[in-house]
Amino acid sequence: MTTTLPAAHEHGAPRDPGAPRDPGGPRDPGAQHAHGPRRASRRLLVAGLIVVAALALVRITTATLPAGILPDHLQDFVTLTLSVIVESMPFVLLGIVLSIVVQVWLPAGFFAAWLPRNPTARRAVISLLGVFLPVCECGNVPLARGLVVKGFSVSDSMTFLIAAPIVNPITIITTYQAFGWSDGILVSRVLGGFVVANLLGWLYAKQRDERSLLTRQFDAECRIPETPHDHPHSRLTSSAVLFRREMSTMLPALFVGAAIAGGVQTLVPRSVLLTLGSNPLWSILAMMALAFVISICSNVDAFFVLPFASTFLPGSIVAFLVFGPIVDIKMLTLLRTTYRPVVLVQISLVVALVAAALGLAVNALA
Amino acid sequence: MPRFSLAALSARWRGVALTLIIGVTTLWLAAAGQLVLYIHPRYVVFTVVLTVIGMALALLALALSPDGDDEPGHGGEDAPAAQHDAAAGAEAPSRRSRILGTGGLVVTAAVAASLVVLPPATLTSATAGTRGLGTAVVTTSGGDAPATGPTSTYTVLDWATRLRQSTDIGTYENQSVDVTGFVSPSPDDPDNSFFVTRFVVTCCAVDAQPVGVPVYDPGWSKDLKKNQWVRIRGSFATNPSTASSAPITLAPRTLTKIAQPRDPYLY
Repeated sequence: MTTTLPAAHEHGAPRDPGAPRDPGGPRDPGAQHAHGPRRASRRLLVAGLIVVAALALVRITTATLPAGILPDHLQDFVTLTLSVIVESMPFVLLGIVLSIVVQVWLPAGFFAAWLPRNPTARRAVISLLGVFLPVCECGNVPLARGLVVKGFSVSDSMTFLIAAPIVNPITIITTYQAFGWSDGILVSRVLGGFVVANLLGWLYAKQRDERSLLTRQFDAECRIPETPHDHPHSRLTSSAVLFRREMSTMLPALFVGAAIAGGVQTLVPRSVLLTLGSNPLWSILAMMALAFVISICSNVDAFFVLPFASTFLPGSIVAFLVFGPIVDIKMLTLLRTTYRPVVLVQISLVVALVAAALGLAVNALA
Repeated sequence: MPRFSLAALSARWRGVALTLIIGVTTLWLAAAGQLVLYIHPRYVVFTVVLTVIGMALALLALALSPDGDDEPGHGGEDAPAAQHDAAAGAEAPSRRSRILGTGGLVVTAAVAASLVVLPPATLTSATAGTRGLGTAVVTTSGGDAPATGPTSTYTVLDWATRLRQSTDIGTYENQSVDVTGFVSPSPDDPDNSFFVTRFVVTCCAVDAQPVGVPVYDPGWSKDLKKNQWVRIRGSFATNPSTASSAPITLAPRTLTKIAQPRDPYLY
């Protein structure tokens, strides 16, 4: 009897004792709560792996396309753009990893515990933090964002943001490898970075509402309580969420910045700048313009500028090495994720003035 | 209730997607030995290691992405801005930022596509031209360190350095030249001369500096195209060209077309 009428039982009489499968029904919604997210995320992971495989397949197939399908200028624009991206990406990743460590894995009061309370002394110490967090400017933006989320004031994090690309061991070592102690280039660079960072930190600390320096999006992000109330995530999950969010903000900025930098370099003949090398003032401005356009990371820029040392005055090299890490096309698009345009203009102006003044001083002394 | 929207999907996953795109391309370039088209060899290991870490994190982000973590101000980047603008009654900045945002996405997508689809390439003679090939400006570090060893092993960089140091033809007598590079038209005498050119890279293709040795070869463009890689053997002679500013040029004895070398840049 029971075996012949299963359908009737299910529809008409849910409480019928002859329906041992019933528990299966009510469990479904429950299962969605208990296992659904995990299954969904496993599905996402599989989707991700499929995407990776598909990308690899397309990449390998298209490699056989003949070279020279694009006109020279367009091809060089693409090559330069991709070069900026490939060169910056590891540093961006390094910055994100350190940012995740600072935001998720360090205890809450880690920095507050030992940083001086006096604002000037605190900023001076913060501008030396780069010695322990050796990121260049591209990795630095996510890290500085992380510090603001962690409770740094905007001016304090700005001090770190400006100082760390220059006052950090990798930059100091590569600058030393390139220039040694000659013409005081290394010393001027490190001092210049330190001074301009503390100057900007001091200027912005005078701002009554420091949050007004931030873009609305980032400000809103900072106002979210650190651990969401209803579902506290594990640290690993928080790291994953942070990675996803920060990459979604930073990478489009990096791509756009790289494309602009690549485009400018394709269109503007560099020889225009190079003919200015021996004039004490123009050489400084030319090298700052070059730094702005070239957009390479501070960890490696000393090698880039080394060949110019034979034609350009040392002051202009110093101006390049102080200005470039803080202000360049790629960096401005990255900073735009966090600061309002007017702040970017102010930073650029202050850094340009300090770098130029420093360059003139070095030229006068050398 | 999660409603499907392309904008939300993009805002949520574009970082992960771009990481995977750069990651796959970088690792493939490294495996094919072509990462050096974009960066100096000394950064290859560093780049590969961090790329692997980045891809692992991207996959971790896919595996561990709880629903409902996209409250206003978190994942949905556009939402808070829109609310704020509406509250302030500021329509114009919102429209402007929307246009900028769309433009940015288009550029990002185009660059991402070229990462995956376009065949890897070196810089061409076009950039050699805009970067001052053949001008008197010294822009390479070889300037004060003359090459050593037999001159037959000299590269384009070594010879270009020598040519800058000495324009006395006597010092080049009986020295055989055997160099490899690509063809860039001479800026001041494109009909009769070209430069056999290499790019010198100190960090990445962004900073590539062209160096070249002038070659006097009237009518070269009949059987050579610019960007063609060539191996030239010959010796130096006083430049017969009146249009060119180079005092000494290479007179080719043999000129062979070759394929682009695996490592096209000099360091």
